[in-house]
Amino acid sequence: MHEIGIMESAMTFVLQHATENRARKVSRVVLRIGTLAGVEVESLRFAFDVVSRGTLAENADFEIEIVPASVFCQGCNDEFIQDTAGYIFICPTCGDLCGEIRRGRELELSRIEMN
Amino acid sequence: MCKECGCNHKVPFGVKVLSWIAPGMLKPRVAESDGASTTSSPPHSIEIHTSLLAKNDDLAAANRALFSQRRILTLNLLSSPGSGKTTLLSRTVDEFGLGNRCAVVVGDLETDNDARRLHRPHVQVAQITTGTACHLDADMVARGVKALDLTDVRVLFIENVGNLVCPADFDLGETLRVVLLSATEGEDKPLKYPPIFKSADLVLLTKIDIAEVLGFDRLQALDNIRRMAPRAECIELSARSGEGMEAWYRYLESHLTSVE
Ligand SMILES: Nc1nc2c(ncn2[C@@H]2O[C@H](COP(=O)(O)OP(=O)(O)O)[C@@H](O)[C@H]2O)c(=O)[nH]1
Ligand SMILES: [Mg+2]
Ligand SMILES: [Zn+2]
Ligand SMILES: [Zn+2]
Ligand SMILES: [Zn+2]
Repeated sequence: MHEIGIMESAMTFVLQHATENRARKVSRVVLRIGTLAGVEVESLRFAFDVVSRGTLAENADFEIEIVPASVFCQGCNDEFIQDTAGYIFICPTCGDLCGEIRRGRELELSRIEMN
Repeated sequence: MCKECGCNHKVPFGVKVLSWIAPGMLKPRVAESDGASTTSSPPHSIEIHTSLLAKNDDLAAANRALFSQRRILTLNLLSSPGSGKTTLLSRTVDEFGLGNRCAVVVGDLETDNDARRLHRPHVQVAQITTGTACHLDADMVARGVKALDLTDVRVLFIENVGNLVCPADFDLGETLRVVLLSATEGEDKPLKYPPIFKSADLVLLTKIDIAEVLGFDRLQALDNIRRMAPRAECIELSARSGEGMEAWYRYLESHLTSVE
């Protein structure tokens, strides 16, 4: 729904760094996206194509690193990873329902490669 | 590990150039993928750790600082269109608002109907017309708040744009997030829109006066809310019949003391 807006803000950062580093071309852009970030990976790819058109980043490799959800269980005082889809977090150790999400909501620009 | 999100990036929030590989100094970097970027001049790789919502988060922090300095309890109300946000607020400002000065910022795609519905001599209302944006962001709220006289205001309600998807990602600087689910919607809504329910401090089950005739399964809905947001409080109410409104006012009252 707002993937284009997110890509626009990513592209602002990308082009800013490319200009600062006097890059001729951006060859790769890497985002880190948590499984709970609420964005569609396919829509982001599409948005990247649209937003990068005519810029230094046109045709750059676009990569998305997925961050699995990590949830804290208060009872066990420990974190567990949930890599399956879904938003119901049951601690594998004690079976409690947990709600404290420690990772998985990331929506970050993580790396740019340029030459 | 980074403090921002616990990931394995060693670079703290901000920007840092990690590798300036001068031509000829090292062997060309072996690309991890199938070598698409093996160019003659090796690439500069810049490791960044910038949240794409960082700008909004900064502005939200500024809003939060303003609210906290003025000791204003701020609630961000989120729901699908038609779940009863404006109706709830109208009644709230007429009852709770008599003893506690309230102000409202209301976001809508194009009309100012809601602002007019909420208009009263004792309540200031700022309308934000978002145009095509399907959510309020911290900047819009800052501009809305600037239009209000906050003197003596104790509670600021922000009625977000009716949408259960992207408002979840936009911190407005609120003290509390309130998500409404009405009896006219499906009991399984919390399972379909987890991020927004997960982010809630309070879930209001609204239009409870018509739950029975609609065959709305309250227990099922409450169970789904609990599964999505185990730590959120939950109040069932009807802004029409008045049932449950007292519990809502007590909730506001108890959080008012927390900002004082
Ligand atoms: N039966 C009943 N209808 C309600 C209640 N609250 C709101 N409504 C109706 O639901 C519709 C949408 O309400 P509104 O407050 O505009 O929803 P909003 O889009 O979330 O602001 C209106 O027709 C209201 O009259 C309630 O507690 N009970
Ligand atoms: Mg409304
Ligand atoms: Zn456990
Ligand atoms: Zn991190
Ligand atoms: Zn949006």
